[in-house]
Amino acid sequence: MRSILRYTFLLSGLAFTGGALAHHSFAMFDRNKEVTIKGTVKQFNYTNPHSWLDILVTDEKGQVKEWSFEMEGPSSLMRSGIKPGSLKPGEKITVKAWPLRDGRPAGAAINIVKEDGTVLDPRRGLRPPTS
Amino acid sequence: MTDRKFVVASFVGLAALAWGFATAETKPVAGAPGEKPTATKMTWDALPDWSGLWTMEGRIIFDSSSKDPHREFPPLKPEYEAKYAKVVQDAIAGKEFDPLTQCLPAGFPRVLAEPFLQEFVLRPEQVWWIHEQQNEIRRIYTDGRPHPPADELYPLWEGHSIGHWEGDTLVVDTVSLREGIYDRTGAIHSEQAHVTERIRKIDANTIEDQIVVEDPVTLTKPWHVTKRYKKLADPSLRIDHWACEEDNRAVFKNGSTDIVLPSDREKKR
Repeated sequence: MRSILRYTFLLSGLAFTGGALAHHSFAMFDRNKEVTIKGTVKQFNYTNPHSWLDILVTDEKGQVKEWSFEMEGPSSLMRSGIKPGSLKPGEKITVKAWPLRDGRPAGAAINIVKEDGTVLDPRRGLRPPTS
Repeated sequence: MTDRKFVVASFVGLAALAWGFATAETKPVAGAPGEKPTATKMTWDALPDWSGLWTMEGRIIFDSSSKDPHREFPPLKPEYEAKYAKVVQDAIAGKEFDPLTQCLPAGFPRVLAEPFLQEFVLRPEQVWWIHEQQNEIRRIYTDGRPHPPADELYPLWEGHSIGHWEGDTLVVDTVSLREGIYDRTGAIHSEQAHVTERIRKIDANTIEDQIVVEDPVTLTKPWHVTKRYKKLADPSLRIDHWACEEDNRAVFKNGSTDIVLPSDREKKR
């Protein structure tokens, strides 16, 4: 029985380690899917336990929808080179993210591309280089 | 085992049983309840240099599938193995919840396997092991005090830790723990878990913690496991306060983890 469990555990590795370094479980995000969303920064909350980036997205019919993206908390983001003022309201950005499984407009940010092409990687600061 | 140690062990065992820390076949441990402290006095000059910031090596789970000796898996009794299996099955089905989500501490010994940054503050009479995640601090008393008397012990997230130095090795004994999980896999330890550690710097950039968990409730035998911590290359990094409740949008819903979005909050108003 034990060996079967261990094998099952192997299969489930991703379930536990997908968001391995996140503060909470990653169960609500679909790591097998990526979305790319273009919009304008509404608000960047540089907060614990996670930072949140809210952006406004206008569709082809002119309807505005708000998307929210989770990132690591301030300490990790700072180590990623993402500072409180790095994403300013009104700024146009493109966010790549793992979306919520339930279809609501939110996800866990993989990276953010600014209008000038700068790429912000919010996960880089999770494990700073060791000696 | 010497006669003296046997007497001490017997006394410790009885005292523990009387209170509920039933540690069958308890080995004599420095500073266990009732034992005469054996710690030698550390001086400022003799303290080892554990300065800098550190981060755990390896993954945040004690991975049962790994052959790496540093990632052994607890020898769980069948009923606790079954509970662990259920958590695994639920996780495969996308149903998973971690108490950290509610901003509760990782607690000891789980905190030994948590990521983010850590630092050690060494004083002759006390060692602080500080974790960035949710500001968890372990206080390890090395002033020779014993654990509090049995009627003053109660379940604590970090337990009560006392230690002594054997050369450059910090030997720590922890009791008074809460029931908890070792990691996100949900493998459980009980309040009766008794943890001993031998912590030392094995090279300029590595601190090693040799851990032994004894738990008569959940384990079939003592669990020996080792975790290592690597020194960060950039000494200018820092640990900031982690106020977990300031904007926690993760919630427990239908047995799993969910997120409350700003639009959800507006609907509720």
